[in-house]
Amino acid sequence: MEKKERGTALLAVKGFFAVIAGFFADFGRAVSEGDAFVKLSLLWMGAGYFKRKQYIKALLMTILEAAAIIFTVKFAMSYVPKFGTLGTVQMEKVFNMKTMKSEFNDYDNSFTILLFSLFSFVVWFAFLIVWMRNVIHVYELQKMAEKGKHIPTFLEDLRAYKEEKFHITLLTLPVLGIAIFTFIPILLLILVAFTNYDQNHMPPNSLFTWVGFDNFMSLFGGGGLTVTFGYAFIRVLGWTLVWAFFATITTYIGGILLSLLLNSKNTRMPKLWRTLFIVTIAVPQFVSLLLVRNFFSNGGIVNTICSNIGLTGFLRDIGLVSTSYIPFLSAPGWAHVMIILINIWIGVPYQMLIATGVLMNLPSDQLESARVDGASKFQIFRKITMPYLLFVTGPALVTDFVKNINNFNVIYLLTENVYTTTNQAMANSQAKEVDLLVTWLFRLTQDYYNYKMASAIGIVVFVICAVFTLIAFNRMIKGDREGTYQ
Amino acid sequence: MKKMKSNRTSTIVLHNLLIAVLAVIWLVPIVWLVCTSFSAYSGMNTSTFFPKEWSISSYIKLFHPDTVAQFPQWFLNTFIIACFTCVISTMFVLMVAYATSVMRFPMRKPLMNLGVILNLFPGMLAMIAVYFTLKSFNLTNSYVGLIMVYSASSGLGYLIAKGFFDTVPRALCEAARIDGCSEARIFFQMVLPMSRPIIVYTVISSFLVPWMDFVYAKMILNAGISSKYTVAIGLFKMLDKSLINNYFTQFCAGGVLVSIPISILFIIMQKFYVEGITGGAVKG
Repeated sequence: MEKKERGTALLAVKGFFAVIAGFFADFGRAVSEGDAFVKLSLLWMGAGYFKRKQYIKALLMTILEAAAIIFTVKFAMSYVPKFGTLGTVQMEKVFNMKTMKSEFNDYDNSFTILLFSLFSFVVWFAFLIVWMRNVIHVYELQKMAEKGKHIPTFLEDLRAYKEEKFHITLLTLPVLGIAIFTFIPILLLILVAFTNYDQNHMPPNSLFTWVGFDNFMSLFGGGGLTVTFGYAFIRVLGWTLVWAFFATITTYIGGILLSLLLNSKNTRMPKLWRTLFIVTIAVPQFVSLLLVRNFFSNGGIVNTICSNIGLTGFLRDIGLVSTSYIPFLSAPGWAHVMIILINIWIGVPYQMLIATGVLMNLPSDQLESARVDGASKFQIFRKITMPYLLFVTGPALVTDFVKNINNFNVIYLLTENVYTTTNQAMANSQAKEVDLLVTWLFRLTQDYYNYKMASAIGIVVFVICAVFTLIAFNRMIKGDREGTYQ
Repeated sequence: MKKMKSNRTSTIVLHNLLIAVLAVIWLVPIVWLVCTSFSAYSGMNTSTFFPKEWSISSYIKLFHPDTVAQFPQWFLNTFIIACFTCVISTMFVLMVAYATSVMRFPMRKPLMNLGVILNLFPGMLAMIAVYFTLKSFNLTNSYVGLIMVYSASSGLGYLIAKGFFDTVPRALCEAARIDGCSEARIFFQMVLPMSRPIIVYTVISSFLVPWMDFVYAKMILNAGISSKYTVAIGLFKMLDKSLINNYFTQFCAGGVLVSIPISILFIIMQKFYVEGITGGAVKG
């Protein structure tokens, strides 16, 4: 079983590399077996098209090549050579004798250098692929010409983009969007984690540079002055995992129980009840969570009620509370429990919706035959309903776990401005006991401009997520039943 | 016999009573939200659950903006952002879903696997890097940046729509292809008209993204200019320690006003989601 699971991820990776290997093989063949014009295409991208009388394409390719060269000379070359140092010229004000004004010198901006170098690398990489594909394509044209086939005109080529190449038309923009807004930022994040980009090194006023693994060292507890960071990291990481575990399990079980309850034959007006529960999640989280946080605030309505019915006094007597109110969201321990409880309130209806969908698709023939065979209700539930539910929703548990590791909203909206830490070591690292890694990261960037540590934390979160993601991914590929309906 | 029947009745009553109790627990904060929004007192009511004096003054104040609370403006801002996001996201989602579902090309499987992996990584993580990038292009504190953040990666959410397109009978597309229909025509004139539930679902769900989002708006609109806020940020700012005593009921009123249209859309979306899945299965 275990081995097979590993096989699926391996298979996906293998498939990916097979595509790449095939691409290189095609390129090699094109270069070695192509005629003079194919070989000339290595230098002048339009050459092959020119030979086959595809003049417009030849022109376009030439323009593209020229653009790439201009891009390299005019843009990339002013950033990439400084990539190794991230700039050496500090910003200074110099008095210009000619204009009689103080002006800034021609300073380096480390961040611009970093970003635009990365951007140049990506553009070069994309161009490399286009260049290789171009040679392969020209070689295909050569083969077509040798066989005496019709060489498509430019219009025919264009038309292909709404015929057999329609998928390219469809996918270009979305893939570009994902590349720019997901892929490049992740690369940038990784790069920043290896620099000292923080409030003391803010471009354009000052430079930052590469520091190797220093940030990770201080994150994992090494290095004199930053010991507190290591301590805070362990505390926050621990709570993140505990939170993700409980948040996932409680809402999962709660959701299944609620959906079983609502879908029971005994329920009158199931639709009405379901809608009532959905209303809680239909209200935007920033409204409901901010409201609940005031509901449970130190001087809030729940505290008034608790003190009126004597609960506060009772808790004080047994030593759970030392203040005149119950610190629902402002003391460690209390806040942790309350956050998980409030998350149940907000998460169970979601899981209920999902579980309801699954229950509706329950294999009815199995249920029927079990009933005919005289199985009791409880037996049916234990032997058919429950295994089926677990089978279908089980993999989602892992994804939910990963989502909860990054559940920013619940933590931030419930505790920001409410919870203040009394732990000096945590406060030194701008962390709180109730922080998740992501909320800590958010505060570090937004309020303290500590980008280097935030990026390092980001990478750690990434690695944690990656481990769980791979598990989930294996399950998903296994459960990939596309085509069963087709 | 009679005893058994009454036994069953009591089970049903108990069963529904349990659900009712749960529903009440789940709705208490929502009821409190609505009640407080009708309170005459502008701060938080801490002594009683229901307000002592009822009034609609906070709703009236909400529509007479001051420097802090500019609810109509926020609502308009969010609406504009939501419209653009909705159009772009819907296009992206449907395009990706159709390409991966109906068309066959060599990169299909690798791309889809990559999509699954990227999808499992929460967008939250790329967040700060997106912020860096937007900042260096001067797109922070602009709606263009926000719209781009909301919609650019939306293509990753194609799986539900793909599941629907998967159920469109292949034979139909083949027939059209044999008749000389271009792929583009099959997409626009055949598959899309058949896919109303999933289109409605996609439109509503992408329209809701900017209304429900808090993080990205907080991060990108960070200049503190009240008139540029979205509803989420505006309402969040109302609860600052220095403002909460004057604005808490207005926050509640604003919350109610935002929640009503969103809840309705959300419930409609759920209906179309179910319809999209079951309706598709019947066809296949």
